[in-house]
Amino acid sequence: MRWVRKIHKWVSIIIAIQFLLWLLSGLYFNVMDGSKASGRTYKSKQVHQVQYNLNQLLEPQLVLQKHDEVVELNTVELLGQPYYLLAHEKALYAHFVNRYSLVNALTGQLVAMDKTMANALAKQSYNGPGEIIESKLISNKLVDFPKQKNPSWQINFNDEINTSVYIEAGSGRIVGHSDDHKRLADIAFMLHFIDYDNVGGFNNIQNWLFAFFTLWLTLSGLIWTIELGIKGRYTP
Amino acid sequence: MSAAKASRKYHKWLMLFLGVQFVIWSVTGTYMVFFDIDYIHGDSMVMNHQTKVNTSTINYSLKSLTQQYPEATNLSVGSFIDKTVYRFSMNGEQYLVNASNGHLLSPLNEQNAIHAADHYYTGNGSVTHIELITANPPFELSKRVLPAWRVNFSDFGAPSLYISAQTGKLVTKRHQFWRIFDWMFRFHVMDYEGSEVDNSLLFWFTAFGLFASITGLILMYYRVFHNPLKKIFRTLTIKRSY
Repeated sequence: MRWVRKIHKWVSIIIAIQFLLWLLSGLYFNVMDGSKASGRTYKSKQVHQVQYNLNQLLEPQLVLQKHDEVVELNTVELLGQPYYLLAHEKALYAHFVNRYSLVNALTGQLVAMDKTMANALAKQSYNGPGEIIESKLISNKLVDFPKQKNPSWQINFNDEINTSVYIEAGSGRIVGHSDDHKRLADIAFMLHFIDYDNVGGFNNIQNWLFAFFTLWLTLSGLIWTIELGIKGRYTP
Repeated sequence: MSAAKASRKYHKWLMLFLGVQFVIWSVTGTYMVFFDIDYIHGDSMVMNHQTKVNTSTINYSLKSLTQQYPEATNLSVGSFIDKTVYRFSMNGEQYLVNASNGHLLSPLNEQNAIHAADHYYTGNGSVTHIELITANPPFELSKRVLPAWRVNFSDFGAPSLYISAQTGKLVTKRHQFWRIFDWMFRFHVMDYEGSEVDNSLLFWFTAFGLFASITGLILMYYRVFHNPLKKIFRTLTIKRSY
């Protein structure tokens, strides 16, 4: 079947480079250290015990009455202090667009996350040798966490792997840690997902096209192999 | 043996053993890239209600709650369908309490679980099956969220919603396309023992697959781009008729 060989040959030209990139990045995912690749090298595993008693806190009803309408009020502990986290808009997932207020649960005071608080939260989550060298609030897409849709503080440490800790400004939630290990893994994911826009996903036109051609390559290869077998060409 | 000849030999023999996995990679990969991941995750199956807490209905105070449940932690105030509720944990379990009268709503009974599932579900179908899962959850349900009600609906794709029996919250959701996606992923990373991406089977297939593909690349080069040799190579291949 001449056409099977023709397809195999011409399709292989179209996808050759991407095909090798898939295999190379796939091999990398297989051998990489998952903990390092997800940025957890200097992530503290310490669990913070709740240090407050619920009966010390303000009546939630009083707090709710003083603020915009709320979908959900949660008690959270940040730096040993109890807070009420008010979600005015609550998305399906934390990284989707949410709108929060953070209220001191003892005094009722509205708290805006400033640099000092973000730095302290980042330090608490960090167990490496570095010191903070830079902190900035980022409202655009985070290169290290492209799926996070809420403004976040980026706190950079001067360790040997350039750790950045991300704190969600509205809630104090740790978005994640990133460092040079994770950034290398992110490049591998970018290559594997053909995600050069850094969306953090694989549903893109480039993938659809390459997937389509790859199907032709592997299926024509399969038919070819079967054909060789039938013709008895697999005798050593 | 020339590079072309050697490549042809290796490509032919290696792909005899590896070829099926290349077909699996391409078929499973195609499935995963073509279905939108948010659709796969069932985001369109559920309504993200933004029901606001009605503070005037809170007649049961935190003070009463802490008297009744002195060891309560992780308090939240929100809604369960149309009721304003407290949720909290105590001794490793979670509780759901009506904020207007302090009545304990957890663990959820079957009727409340159906109400909740209907409330979250966006489809038009009706409930076909409901069960309370307290142990040995299916693959698609995390052990951490037990006990949970599984509520199946009659729509296309065999949708299931899982409702926590303790908090009344939607804990996860599944339809057939997500279940298939999970299988596709496992075949894609050759995870036949639940050992995930770093398994040695995948390593050897990818490593040899890489070598086999490079031989394919060499063949392509000779057949397409290497003009001076092209003729000789072609006559050779026709004579030996591949």
